[in-house]
Amino acid sequence: MFEKVLIANRGEIALRIHRACKEMGISTVAVHSTADSEAMHVRLADESVCIGPPPAAKSYLHIPAIIAAAEITGAQAIHPGYGFLSENAKFAEIVTQHGMTFIGPTADHIRLMGDKIAAKQAAIDTGMPVVPGSAGAITDEADAKKVGKKIGYPVLIKAAAGGGGRGMKVARSEDEVVEAYNTARSEAKAAFGNDEVYMEKYLTHPRHIEIQVVADSHGNVIHLGERDCSLQRRHQKVLEEAPSPALNTEDRARIGQITAEAIQKLGYLGVGTVEYLYEDGEFYFIEMNTRLQVEHPVTEMITGIDLVREQIRIADGAKLSVTQEDVKFNGHAIECRVNAENPATFRPSPGKITGYHPPGGLGVRLDSAIYAGYTIPPNYDSLIGKLIVHGRDRAECLMRLRRALNEMVITGVETTLPLFRDLMNEPDVINGDYSIHWLEKNLAAKAAAES
Amino acid sequence: MSRKPQPANKQKPQGLDPGLVRELAKILDDTGLTEIEVEYGELRLRLARTLVAAPPPSHTHVVHSAPVPAALPSPVAAAPAIAPPAAAPEAETDYATHAGAVLSPMVGTAYLAANEDSAAFVKIGDKVTKGQTILLIEAMKTFNQIPATRDGTVKQILVGNADPVEFNQPLMIIE
Repeated sequence: MFEKVLIANRGEIALRIHRACKEMGISTVAVHSTADSEAMHVRLADESVCIGPPPAAKSYLHIPAIIAAAEITGAQAIHPGYGFLSENAKFAEIVTQHGMTFIGPTADHIRLMGDKIAAKQAAIDTGMPVVPGSAGAITDEADAKKVGKKIGYPVLIKAAAGGGGRGMKVARSEDEVVEAYNTARSEAKAAFGNDEVYMEKYLTHPRHIEIQVVADSHGNVIHLGERDCSLQRRHQKVLEEAPSPALNTEDRARIGQITAEAIQKLGYLGVGTVEYLYEDGEFYFIEMNTRLQVEHPVTEMITGIDLVREQIRIADGAKLSVTQEDVKFNGHAIECRVNAENPATFRPSPGKITGYHPPGGLGVRLDSAIYAGYTIPPNYDSLIGKLIVHGRDRAECLMRLRRALNEMVITGVETTLPLFRDLMNEPDVINGDYSIHWLEKNLAAKAAAES
Repeated sequence: MSRKPQPANKQKPQGLDPGLVRELAKILDDTGLTEIEVEYGELRLRLARTLVAAPPPSHTHVVHSAPVPAALPSPVAAAPAIAPPAAAPEAETDYATHAGAVLSPMVGTAYLAANEDSAAFVKIGDKVTKGQTILLIEAMKTFNQIPATRDGTVKQILVGNADPVEFNQPLMIIE
């Protein structure tokens, strides 16, 4: 087993990795920018190295500095956490070339899943369900009708060169498809100088459901069920729960098995997450994240499996510590991402934390690197803690979460805690009845009511 | 942790006598003690130092060993007590903020000479001109020439050959 691991990250995830290392008897090296000299991951690590100035490009993203830090401290492996260099194939390659272990998948798998078109093709090739669509560009009005009929309405017509919503038209029936096709083409031509458009099924109220997979280097793959991350704002997850209130045991077993088999075919290594949209009983592949996810604790709470520990063991060549049959789902877990932001405008609120009272009690976990007197630097993202609560069932979990949210105090900066307290009173949240659009609509309605 | 400039040092609580701290620090040095605690009425003062004092073994430069309890702010520190690492590392605190300090622009391994057989780029007392190479720092097999940031005389060399150095670490004093 590794004796020393360098943690190429900051904040709560650096601390999370440190904790797993210490429980395995591994010593840790923290790296930090000058803005993070007082950060908790630096204080708790066995060794620390300052690698650069505050901008991430010159510190946490600066590969030579991180490699040099690993070399001067004699670290045998590097854990990239999430964000920063975690899905940088070149970094994974360089770590390996320098005789160290990258705690994550191979550079080839990172590269494959980082390319949207190649990833979708890989999903199709390995049997994961994808959004049905035209094989290539729509050739004419008749083709549009033909493909629309085959896919089933509503459909979305999208510019091949597109992005940002331009050149995108929805057709709800065959009556609308010709006009939608022609409008999308003109918009695409005007916006991108290319009138090529394609068609895919339009999902009106999907949920975001992702499957956690873990694969070792001996060909063993397991899935740890799903996380429902439908409560989002601007494509950023806000609250995640497992199991999903929308899935039954059969759905879970079916999509879990399909995903695990696909991951095995890919020859993937380490932890990974396959993200799907889910609507009317069907799953549609979005992408695969080839790293540990922010919301991984939700899965840990209902399975009792330490995902970071598995990651490190697997990187060291060990076999998975459990088989699929050993995996038992126990109760319900919800995570709230607490950000240093205004809870209504979401404007970041860096600054000094003057008071801090973390909640406690049975089933309450707080993954955070803040402390009273800590100054949140303005240079990085605003996530300052994850409150994760476990209960024997969803109702108990919700009551416990409400209690923990009311107990938790952070003063000196604005946080999104009030948003979560409000969400605990929303009937749709209590009933688990929400799609990926629910939160945005709810926030827009609240903003309108206040103005 | 002890070698970092501690902001706490600058925000001395009102009524704290810097002369007293210096005097205690001197006693600490003279006696070789690691900790002194004094109490004068309301004022309670504790000076402590870690045992890794000069001459630093190569690792202490870069690597801060952080025993957990020492790293955490002690609850007493909220009172007039000053941050414990004040005494021993005072000299190093000076280097980091010293006007003549050349700070490391990168993390890596410092080399004072181009190779084992050559003489050091500079030695104490040498006159240097701005831009002149004063040492090398190796990172990812690349040797980076570190130039003097000003004209002057090399007063102190703060790193040893093949020492690991981190970003912003003082390397030399040129005055």
